[in-house]
Amino acid sequence: MVELFVQQSVNWITLGCIYALLAIGFSLIFGVLNVIHFSHGDVAMTAPFIALASAQGLAAALGATGPAWLVLAVVAAVLAVGLIGAVLDKVVIRRFRDAPAMMALVATVALGIVIRELIRHLYPQGSNPHAFPRLVSGVAFEITSVPISWFSLLVVGLTTLLVALLFVFLRLTPLGLRIRAASEDRVVARMMGIRDDRVFRATFFIASAIGAIAGLLFASYAGVTRFDFGVMTGLLGFSAAVIGGLGSMPGAIAGGLIIAGIEVLAQTFVPDGASYRLVFVFVLVIVVLIFRPAGLLGRTIMEKV
Amino acid sequence: MGRSASSAAPGAAAATAFTILSQLCGAAFLYALLKADGGWQVIGLLVLLGVGFFLLERFPWINDFVMASLTRVPLITTATAAVIVLGFPFLVGSNTYILHLLIVAQLYAVLALALNFQLGSANIPNFSTGASYGIGAYASALLALNFGMSFWLTLPIAALAATLFGFIIGIPSMRTRDTYLALVTIAFGVVVQQLLNNFDWTGGPNGLVGIPAPSLFGHSFASPLQVFGWKLPSQANFYYLSAALVVVAIVTAQRLHGSRIGLAWNALRADEIAAKAQGINVAWYKVLAFAVDAFLAAFAGTIYAFYVSYISPDNFTFLVSVTIMTMVIVGGMDNIFGVIIGAFLLTILPEKLRAFSDYRLLFFGVVVIGFLMIRPQGLFPQRLRQYGVHR
Repeated sequence: MVELFVQQSVNWITLGCIYALLAIGFSLIFGVLNVIHFSHGDVAMTAPFIALASAQGLAAALGATGPAWLVLAVVAAVLAVGLIGAVLDKVVIRRFRDAPAMMALVATVALGIVIRELIRHLYPQGSNPHAFPRLVSGVAFEITSVPISWFSLLVVGLTTLLVALLFVFLRLTPLGLRIRAASEDRVVARMMGIRDDRVFRATFFIASAIGAIAGLLFASYAGVTRFDFGVMTGLLGFSAAVIGGLGSMPGAIAGGLIIAGIEVLAQTFVPDGASYRLVFVFVLVIVVLIFRPAGLLGRTIMEKV
Repeated sequence: MGRSASSAAPGAAAATAFTILSQLCGAAFLYALLKADGGWQVIGLLVLLGVGFFLLERFPWINDFVMASLTRVPLITTATAAVIVLGFPFLVGSNTYILHLLIVAQLYAVLALALNFQLGSANIPNFSTGASYGIGAYASALLALNFGMSFWLTLPIAALAATLFGFIIGIPSMRTRDTYLALVTIAFGVVVQQLLNNFDWTGGPNGLVGIPAPSLFGHSFASPLQVFGWKLPSQANFYYLSAALVVVAIVTAQRLHGSRIGLAWNALRADEIAAKAQGINVAWYKVLAFAVDAFLAAFAGTIYAFYVSYISPDNFTFLVSVTIMTMVIVGGMDNIFGVIIGAFLLTILPEKLRAFSDYRLLFFGVVVIGFLMIRPQGLFPQRLRQYGVHR
C-alpha cells in the first residue's frame, strides 16, 4: 500500500510538472496578448521531432552519438521551437490580438492543424509513432523499495529551476518588467514607451521554449512521440491554465498538478480507469469552473458597462 | 446606410430578373465546383470565388443591390430557390458521390445554423455542437436498433434527449464567460465523446452498425427514388430529407431572429450587463441558446445516423465542433445566408482538395487562417436590424 502510494505520488508529480510547464506557456501568452494560443501544444510537440532530427543529423555529420550530443540536440530543439513561436506570433497570431476571442481561437486551432500536418510531411515517415529516448536513465535512490528514477528528479528539478528563473526574469529584469507592464495594460504600456511588438516576440519565444521543454519531457516520459500528440497535451495544458486562472503563474502550476492528480488517481483506483481518465479530468474541469468561474487563482474582474 | 440602399433599390422587373439570374449563377457555380476534377479546375474555381469576394469587398453596393432585389420580390426568390433545390438531383443524375457531398453539406448547414444561435446571435462560444450532434445520432440509432422504433419516432425523442443535454451545458454557462465558458463546452464535448468511446452499450470505439433505413408511406429510403419516370439513386431520398431539414432550420432561425428571443440574444452580444440592466433574464436566454442548438443538432445527427447506417465516436470529436465553428465564422456570424454558404464551402472544399491527396488538411488549415486574416468579418457580415422600413 505504501509502495503504491509512493509510486503513484512520483508519477503524479512528474506528470504534474510537465502539464504545469505547458500551462505556464498558455498563461503567459494569454496574459500579454489576451489571445488563446490553442496551437501551443502542437508547437511544443514539434520539439521532440526537431531533437530527433538534429540528433540524427549530428550522428550523420560527425559520426558522434552519445549523451553529450543528445543534450546538444535537445538544446537546439528548445531554441528552434522558441524561434518558431516568435515567427508564428509575427506571421499569424499577433494579427488576432484585437479580434473577437473566438476568432483567435479558431485561427490557432487551424494553425495547430497546419503544424501537425507539416510535421507529418516534413519528418520522414511522420505519420508513424517514433521512439524517443529517456533523457536520463537509471535509478537515483529508493523510497520504501520504490525506485525513484533520475528522470523524475530531472523533471522536478528542471521545472523548479524554470519556474524560479521565470519568476526572477519577470520580477527583476527590464524586459520582464515590460512584459508585466504590457500584460497589465497594453495601451498605457505603449504610452510609457514600451515597444509592444518586442514584448510579444519575447513572450512567445519564452513561452514556446518552455513549452518545448515540456514537449521533450512528455515524449521522454511516454517513450514515444507522434505528430498528433499536440492535440491532447495542448488541451490538457490549456485546461490546467484555465482552472488555475489564466494569467496567473501559481495558478498554472496548481492547475497542472490538479489535472495530473486526477489522471493518476483515476488510473490507480478506478477499475478500467485508464480508458476513462479523460472523462474524469474534464468533469473535474467543469466542476471547478462552475464553482470558481474565473479559475482557482484567477482575478475576478469587475465589469463595467 | 439607408440612403445608399434606397438609391440603389431596383425596380420590380429588374429585381425579378436579377434574382433569378443570381441564384442560377450560384447554382451553376456549385455544380461546377462539385463536378470539378483535378487540381487546376478546383484552383481556377477558387480564384473565381476569390475575385468575386474581392469585388464584394471593394464595391459593397453590389451586396446591397443583391440583397435589395432578393427582398424586393421574396416570392420569386423562394420559388427560384425551391426549383433549384428540387431540381439539383436531376441535374446531377446518377452521380452518387455528388449527392453524398450535398447531403453532408446540408447536414453541416443545419449544424452551423444551430451553432449560429449562440456564436452569432449571442456571442456565446460553444464547442459542444459536435457532442449534441452525436447524442442525437446515438439516441436515435440505439432506439432503432434495440427497440425497433421507426425513424420518424426516434427523431423527436433524440431531439428531446439532446435538448436536455443542452440545458445541462447551459447551467455552467450562467456563471462562466468567454474563454472559461469555451473550456467548459470543450470539456463537455470531450466527456461525451469519451463516454461514447468507452461504454459497452454504445458499441465502444466500433460504434453502432446496421441502422435500418427509414421508410415513408411504404417507400424505403434505401431504394431508388422514381419521379415521373426519372430514376434517382437512393441517396436522393436523403437529399430531399436533409433539404427539408435545412428549410426547417432556416425558418426557425428567421422566426427566432425576428422574435423577442432573437432580440434578447443580440442584446447579450452587444453588452451583457447593459442587457441585464434592461431587465433581460440573461441566464435564461443563455441556456435557451444552448437548448435550441442541441435540438437542431440532434435532428441533423438522426438523419446522419440513418443515412450512413453506421456511426462511431470518431464522427463526433472536438475537431467536428471546431469545423462547425469555422463554418459559422467563415460564413459570417448572425447571417443565415452566409452561414449556409460557409457550411457548403467548408464541406465541399476539403473533398475537392483530394486532388492534393495527402496535403489537403494542410491546405485546408492554410486557407482558413488566410481567410480569417483577410476577411475577419466573414464572407457575409452580419446585417444591422432595420426598423420602420416597410416596403
